[in-house]
Amino acid sequence: MQRRTFLQGLAAATALGSLPLGVANALSPMASVSVESLPKLEGDLTLYLGRGEGGLYENVLQAIEKRNPKLNLKIRRGGSAALANTIVAEKKAGVKRADLFWAVDTGSIGMVTDAGAAKPLPSDLTTQLKEGFQYPSWSPVTGRVRTLPYNTQRVSPEQIPDSVMALADSDLKLGWAPAYSSFQSFVTAMRLLEGEKATRAWLKGVNRNAKKYAGELGVVMGVERGEVDVGFANHYYTLRLKSGKPDANVALAYTKNDAGCLVNASGIVALSDGDLPVNFIRYLLTHEVQSYLAREAYEIPLVQDVAQPEGLASLSTLTPPAMDLRNLADLRPTLNLMRDVGVL
Amino acid sequence: MTTTLKKMGALVFASAVSFSLLSGNAMANGAIGDHVNNLHAHIGEYTEEVHWLESKFGSVVDAYEAKDKNLKTDVLMEYWEEVDFHSAIETQYVPIYATIWQGIYGVKMAIDNGKPVADVRVEQEKLNHALWQALGAVKLASQYQKKGLIDQVKTTEVEPTTGPEVIDDIKTRLDRVVAKYAEQLHEVATTLVHDTYLQRFEGVEGDLIAKDAALVEDLEKDFNVTLPQAISQDKGVDAVRHVVEAMQVKLDKARKLLVEAEKGRKDVF
Repeated sequence: MQRRTFLQGLAAATALGSLPLGVANALSPMASVSVESLPKLEGDLTLYLGRGEGGLYENVLQAIEKRNPKLNLKIRRGGSAALANTIVAEKKAGVKRADLFWAVDTGSIGMVTDAGAAKPLPSDLTTQLKEGFQYPSWSPVTGRVRTLPYNTQRVSPEQIPDSVMALADSDLKLGWAPAYSSFQSFVTAMRLLEGEKATRAWLKGVNRNAKKYAGELGVVMGVERGEVDVGFANHYYTLRLKSGKPDANVALAYTKNDAGCLVNASGIVALSDGDLPVNFIRYLLTHEVQSYLAREAYEIPLVQDVAQPEGLASLSTLTPPAMDLRNLADLRPTLNLMRDVGVL
Repeated sequence: MTTTLKKMGALVFASAVSFSLLSGNAMANGAIGDHVNNLHAHIGEYTEEVHWLESKFGSVVDAYEAKDKNLKTDVLMEYWEEVDFHSAIETQYVPIYATIWQGIYGVKMAIDNGKPVADVRVEQEKLNHALWQALGAVKLASQYQKKGLIDQVKTTEVEPTTGPEVIDDIKTRLDRVVAKYAEQLHEVATTLVHDTYLQRFEGVEGDLIAKDAALVEDLEKDFNVTLPQAISQDKGVDAVRHVVEAMQVKLDKARKLLVEAEKGRKDVF
């Protein structure tokens, strides 16, 4: 299969018509902006905040408030999907309580944009984002990618197939966490991309050679201890483990153009007109905030000129699949399939 | 004050403060009355209710001893759910609340299984002990409340925002897992474990991994395997409580690590 660039993959996703129309003919990204160049925020804002990286998002919000003493920020916290449902319900009822919605996953963002609740963003904001991440009615904030952590003492990178589907037929000892939500999203992506029959066969194939873990950190730890050769996990577990244990026997490999290298993103939507919500979003895209989330949360920065978390492959070398990330919310058929195969 | 009472006092304080984060949608037995925010004015009433409960529970065991064929043990739960004291202890000190439910089911199962009266009396004694222990906890809480040392019980959920707050919230939720299990609400207990993991622990585990990956892995196993299995295999309240208490010790360690992590963090701007 022809290898595609990250930009092409994301642009193709928009061509499916389901994500808000990204700028397929993306404008050239501009350099990241410093907080020093932003206008002060003044007035009342209500933010619906999906649960994220513990207190790190809270730290960002507190820093914005501290810098803008005339900003009266009210925050409602909850699960991203639940808050998205609330926004949609409020819109149907003709009520608008939130000015902004910051969600940890794209599926929740899609619910809000589909409902027509999102306000357009100015191009001078969207062009701060890297190519492929520029959308007219929502802004990605940071990203995360599916990876294959492998034991550096037991296998070489060349032994790891670049197709996630091929892993079902390999002799490698695999580690997975079928009960883990991120893994289930990954299987959902596979089901949507490859079909149910192929996904069923893959689950059966991997199950022959796989050791089951409770969570994906457990997978990475199992890889590092040499219990298994290769695992399935989001990128940040390995990077965080390596930050605490630099000599850990684990490194990251990536598949090409399939569910094995799926990229998901957190994102923010303006629900009210005017400069204030838009300018608030500008703060999240500043060099300082993007650097903070990359440094402290190991998330992938999505604006120009901000260093990625150490140990992660460059975004330009990744080839995530072309798909509508919002469909990852369709979890029920995945769970039924996994139960049917006997991995749950 | 004895060491035990001091410990209970500290626990009541901690429990009451953190309970307010959860109370709104976690009650299984109806709305909470305003009395829970004015405990000291209701201590007399609670005391009467404990005497009443002791008498009613005793009458059930007496009827069993008298081989009353009309005896229905479900009235044990009905008596308990009827009193205001129920929500007073549920909002202030969940661990004893769970013990009361354990005691009620201890008496009920002993009778339903036709155990000798002496065995039923042993269970009844445990239940009475839990009731009086609970009254002591509520009295302590009323003193703290009167001095303004504990938050009011809120009727809407408030989300914890910092890592240490999240850990406190997780510990309180785990106490409620034991309580719901003791109430024989196994599915509710299992859902609460799952939600606590997804909505709370996943949010803080990232910071913890770099500090103590083995601890996080251990807790992941507790959340996803050990505790759900203890519930699904119906290992009993003591066994479930044992798992939870072991998790809470690990969570205390996690809390210290999160406090340290926050101290070492650079500013956003």
